[in-house]
Amino acid sequence: MELLSTTLLSAALLALFVVGYLVLAGSDIGLGMLLPHVARTPGERRRVVSAIAPYFLASEVWLVAAVGVLAGLFPVLEHHVVGGLWPVLVALAAGWLVRDAGLWFRARVDRRRWRSACDTAIVAGSWTLAVSWGLVLTGLVGGGLSPDPFTVLGTASVVSLFALRGAAFGAERLVGPTEAESADAAARATRPLARLALGATVATLFAAVVLGGPVPADAVIAAVLVAVLLAALAATSGLTGPMLSRHTSALAIAVPGLLVALSAQLPTAEVPGVTGAFVWAMLAPAVPVMLLGQVWLYRMTRRPAATPTFFA
Amino acid sequence: MFEDPLVLARLQFALTAATHYMFVALTLGLAPYILGTQLLAVLRGDRSRMLSVRFWGGLYLVNYGMGVLSGLVMELQLALNWSGLHEMFGYTFAAPLAIETMTAFFVESTFLGLWIFGWDRMGRWAHLFCFVVVTVTAYSSAWWVLVSNGFLRHPVGFEMVDGVAHMTDPVALMANPAAVLAFLHVTSGAMLVGALVVAAVGAYHLLRGNDPHGIFRRGMRYSALVMTVMPFVVVSFGGAQFQIFGQDPPTSGLTYSAEEIQAIEDAGRSAFVTAANAAGDIVMMSAWGVMFFLGPIMLVAQYGGLLNPRRWFPNLLPSWFRPGRWGLAVLLFSPFLPYLASIGGWVYRETNRQPWVVVHHLTTADAVTPMAPGAALVSFTLFTAAFAVLAAVTYWLLVRFARRGPEGGPLAERREEESPETAAPVHTF
Repeated sequence: MELLSTTLLSAALLALFVVGYLVLAGSDIGLGMLLPHVARTPGERRRVVSAIAPYFLASEVWLVAAVGVLAGLFPVLEHHVVGGLWPVLVALAAGWLVRDAGLWFRARVDRRRWRSACDTAIVAGSWTLAVSWGLVLTGLVGGGLSPDPFTVLGTASVVSLFALRGAAFGAERLVGPTEAESADAAARATRPLARLALGATVATLFAAVVLGGPVPADAVIAAVLVAVLLAALAATSGLTGPMLSRHTSALAIAVPGLLVALSAQLPTAEVPGVTGAFVWAMLAPAVPVMLLGQVWLYRMTRRPAATPTFFA
Repeated sequence: MFEDPLVLARLQFALTAATHYMFVALTLGLAPYILGTQLLAVLRGDRSRMLSVRFWGGLYLVNYGMGVLSGLVMELQLALNWSGLHEMFGYTFAAPLAIETMTAFFVESTFLGLWIFGWDRMGRWAHLFCFVVVTVTAYSSAWWVLVSNGFLRHPVGFEMVDGVAHMTDPVALMANPAAVLAFLHVTSGAMLVGALVVAAVGAYHLLRGNDPHGIFRRGMRYSALVMTVMPFVVVSFGGAQFQIFGQDPPTSGLTYSAEEIQAIEDAGRSAFVTAANAAGDIVMMSAWGVMFFLGPIMLVAQYGGLLNPRRWFPNLLPSWFRPGRWGLAVLLFSPFLPYLASIGGWVYRETNRQPWVVVHHLTTADAVTPMAPGAALVSFTLFTAAFAVLAAVTYWLLVRFARRGPEGGPLAERREEESPETAAPVHTF
């Protein structure tokens, strides 16, 4: 029983929230990045935003929960993260704010210029979020931010993983009863994006191994995770790419999060017993409701609404 | 003054928190009203009440969006700019916030999504259940945030281990009078915000004689009732908090000795903070003083008919003498009162504990993240400008939708003929 300590359990919870956020929010952030590419007409744009809208509500809460766990149970780690990445985190917050403002405001005023301003905010915010996440994840794996090849290539790799996830999500969710132009555009984008991500990942690996990048805390786990990432991207780069992409892109974008959780050199501290017990005692009864809400919402909104709803 | 990152960080947090609270207060104030209306609508199969739910729900969502945006920035800002606080009090102060993010906000946001997208996709009881969850989690969110905030004012239930506070008594943390009383005070105050917004919007439409579904007449009745009962609750739990003022927290002495505390407090006096504190107190008390009379007057006007003297002297009074309409016109501006009282109250509460961030343990100056002045200035300017724009747009949208009435709201039912496909002529040969 001692093996299953509160600290280990809490660390797993934190990793779950971060990886869950990357996999789920990766979909709507990635599709936001690809909005100009997959949607050309006003009607298509509305459909893309209405595919994003239910998801961002239910996926950004994973990051909020992760920040909460970080602050309440791992203040030492939080201090490390904030200390090293302060400017990037400010940019991340700004991108988040701009993107969400675009989503909340878009359907409020029925004017073309208002909508295109909101669409711009969604696209710019999504790109800012993806680049910030690239810098955060590479910064955590690499032990700090520096303008070296590893950071640049690693960021490019994470950004392309977000775009790939968005394309896979769009290929699945934008299929409608009459029009499927956006869904086709998204499906076609999966293959080049997977190739781009594959190239960026191989280059990052080269920078890490040959040019003297960071040393992982656990080389075996890091190697296994990178192998999984490369295999997922290779599978998506081929002919069956669009078909498998919804699973492979999820697996691929989970890897950077898992790399940080399992093999980065991060400061750790034992969670004090009383705090751990308190948080878990309050959390446990809420878990079924949290799961119920998430699963229910994801299942209910599998297709974008045919008629305009609150968001688009 | 603006070269100092500490001043910027404090000002930025004060502005973020005040903006956040403006929108949170309306969320907390409207949620029970919408829930009650939806419950009645479902029980009686009442279409006009469901229209009312759609109308107030639309305003609720526009307002909630800005509440979320400011809340997200506030959470990140707390982590980014106040690392000293987290270093020392992460396990105590931030633990309730962690619980809030997971058990309250996580669930609230998901179920609000279900409520928005479930209008035509789920049964009416399931749909009602979603809003029950939204209301409960909105209030539990407020509860956990105030447990954290109350801890700053009156730190209890921990011991110091190598300069880090370790929780020893979670029950004391939750039963902290600075948290419990503040929760009851803040939520009853939010009910005033909700009631007067309902009254003001109602007054606007009643003045125009535009109330075909009785939405605004019913809203007036609700508002009069709440405004009669709630001010007593607000003042009771507000006044009860004065017992903690000037009292040393039970953990005093764990970090600094009494002499050191005295020295820090003497050195940390600032004329600006003292003035802000007094101004907050005066604004809160005078706004509340006016609100105290609003409810009874509204009740008398609605049920006693006393403000309709025409009833007794039908031919005696000139046609311009219509106190009922004057009353409605006054109500149009009434929501400013509870908002002023709330902001004044928060300024009073928060400036009261300066120069401490955690009373008798950690000063505000020691809690701030060491930042380069330039970086602090960029972050301050960026978020303050963004907040000003977003809050202004949200306010404009709220007023716009409130004036449009039930037919033009963001959740209003869309009629079939609105879609361009069906409007196009069909050619037959």
